[in-house]
Amino acid sequence: NKWCQQKENLHICVFTRFPSHPAAHFSLAASQNLNLLPPLSFPAQECAEFVDLDLSHAFIGTSVRVRLLLYTSEKGMCGTLMSHTDPTAHPQFNTSRLTTFLIHGYRPTGSPPRWLPTITELLLARTDMNLIVVDWNNGAATLNYFKAVENTHTVADNLTAFLEKLKENGVSMSSVHMIGISLGAHISGFVGANMNGSIGRITALDPAGPQFTGTLLKDRLDPSDAQFVDVLHTDIDALGFREPLGHVDFYPNAGTDQPGCPKSILSGSSYFKCDHQRSVFLYMESIKRVCEHKAYPCESYRGFLDGLCTSCERFGDAGCPVFGYDVTGWKDVLLKLNQTKTYFTTNPASPFCMTKYRVEVMIWNKAARWGRLTVKLHGADQEAVATIDHAAFEFKRFTGTRLLAQFDKDVKSVMKMSLKFSTGNVLQPKNRLRVLRVRLTPLEGRERPLCRYDVVVEEDREVTFRPLPCQDSNF
Amino acid sequence: MDVELHVIGTADGNGGTHFSGDRGPTSNGEDVTVSLPDASEGDGLLSTLTSDGERTPLNGLPASQTSTPQEETSVCRIKRELNEVVFWKVRLWMIIIFIFVLIIAVILVALAVCAAIHEDEDEKFDPSLFKLPLYHNGSFELPNQVFTDDLFNMSSNKSQVLAASLQEKVAGVYTSSPALGRYFSHASINAFRNGSVVADYQLKFLIPEEEKDWLRNFTLSREMVFNVFRQFLYDQEADPAQPQYIAPDSLRMF
Repeated sequence: NKWCQQKENLHICVFTRFPSHPAAHFSLAASQNLNLLPPLSFPAQECAEFVDLDLSHAFIGTSVRVRLLLYTSEKGMCGTLMSHTDPTAHPQFNTSRLTTFLIHGYRPTGSPPRWLPTITELLLARTDMNLIVVDWNNGAATLNYFKAVENTHTVADNLTAFLEKLKENGVSMSSVHMIGISLGAHISGFVGANMNGSIGRITALDPAGPQFTGTLLKDRLDPSDAQFVDVLHTDIDALGFREPLGHVDFYPNAGTDQPGCPKSILSGSSYFKCDHQRSVFLYMESIKRVCEHKAYPCESYRGFLDGLCTSCERFGDAGCPVFGYDVTGWKDVLLKLNQTKTYFTTNPASPFCMTKYRVEVMIWNKAARWGRLTVKLHGADQEAVATIDHAAFEFKRFTGTRLLAQFDKDVKSVMKMSLKFSTGNVLQPKNRLRVLRVRLTPLEGRERPLCRYDVVVEEDREVTFRPLPCQDSNF
Repeated sequence: MDVELHVIGTADGNGGTHFSGDRGPTSNGEDVTVSLPDASEGDGLLSTLTSDGERTPLNGLPASQTSTPQEETSVCRIKRELNEVVFWKVRLWMIIIFIFVLIIAVILVALAVCAAIHEDEDEKFDPSLFKLPLYHNGSFELPNQVFTDDLFNMSSNKSQVLAASLQEKVAGVYTSSPALGRYFSHASINAFRNGSVVADYQLKFLIPEEEKDWLRNFTLSREMVFNVFRQFLYDQEADPAQPQYIAPDSLRMF
């Protein structure tokens, strides 16, 4: 069921699948909010879709052809191929609404990105917007990465011309948000620079590193490209960009190896792209507001893990910035801070958010003890585990040792709590950690700190007890 | 080398018969010149073989055994040396194995002894040094008791009975505490007041002079002494309707 038509000097192909609903095409979207889709009568309208190329195209190489697919709440998941020259030709394009561009990156296989339907759906569900999916698959689909990098400039010039047209038609540049993935992030940067930084916001999802690292500001994304630039780094040691590029840069799991991603090449292609692609999945979760990732400004990831950066006072009552779509709430303070590098950790799978507590342990052992801690929180019907094992910590007599415990789940009302202490030495007699007080302070949320007093934790043996609200303020 | 040996060896044998048959009738000059060096070569070979192959005559060797005479000899030498009798029936290999076993046993015994005699320095203390008294006072409420006038008088029978059971309970909390237990001396109920029944208690600890500052600020701080009691009250599985029940929220320490 394929037919082609000549439209606006562009040869486009429209794929439809009769008699199924067009949403069936978006199998990924099926997992989330299917009810978002407005009822569509079929075959009354044709939906423009992302160009589907295959490996043979990539092998030969493709020349740049930019297609703009417009999605709005009126037409739901049915895209409209936009005119490059006359945006007003489409009645559903509302110039007073927010205009969001979604720009993909390098497509070595030529297939449409598998997250595209989901993110489209989530963005439309979030706000009334003109969502323009920039399809430059012709140009991005090539085995020659260097050629794709070269093509980014062509795409950027094309988009700049389109933005100028939007401006002429009364679209405020402040209402433009560009979400760029990998190479798309740098395209957004180029467009932003061409528009003299007047664009409202650029979100860069794991901006590409190869061929951009070490280049001049004009040859890559930088904070001057938009009023607000937020950047997510998930693969700085391979396909991503290591250094900060925006006003705020998020480095989940240090920005290197993402949990849940394959550790060896035996897993095939996902070994290469999993870390890089995680950026999109994290961002989608933030659009959907599954849960909040508080991002902590810190000198280093190690410092963050050590619990040295849990203070968010500089952000006032709002606390540390929340990663993702809603980071705009921290825009003013982040702009004042110039560039902020922030860290957080994630779970291996969705929901990616972890719940953080500050754990303070004071012991009365005469000699210092070194070891790792595992803390468990038991709720009514769930259990959350936090293993603090990136390093052995020193516990000293009458000195509070502060640790950052990151739990895989958020246990709402903690009934019981477990502690396990391990040193890893086999031959020595078992150590005991003689705890005077252990205090758990939630870093997010308003719950009161929990305490337990006078516990002896024998090495490698889990002790479970009931914590109680700390009461030390009136002493 | 072995193939060469073999060929020359058989050639030598053939040559021998050939030699004896030929010599008599013809006594050819050619034959003599060929067979004589032949014989001398064979002699030389036999002598080298006997010098390094100790036990085997040349003809008895199958091809496979002759393949690595040098390797075989070193293996044999080690075998022989290991089998050497050191004294009585004890052979060298037994001694070597024994030494290994001994080393492992010594290590294990040392570890076991270490673990057994290991003294946890935190469990060691000298109660005779605990002389300096430290007091904490407070109150708690017994919601299930009804206040009567005879509880005003601490020497009354009812007061005595109630005070004794409460003192026992409080003392039990502190003596079983890993951190505070060793310093705990005495718990006393000093008075009962109205308001269902409110009991005023006093805790006495004895601490060593040298550590008094640490203990006052940490282990026996008001926060610790209070919360050890408080968490005991929260933990207790006791029925809230029980007469001796202490309401956890009512615990105070002044």
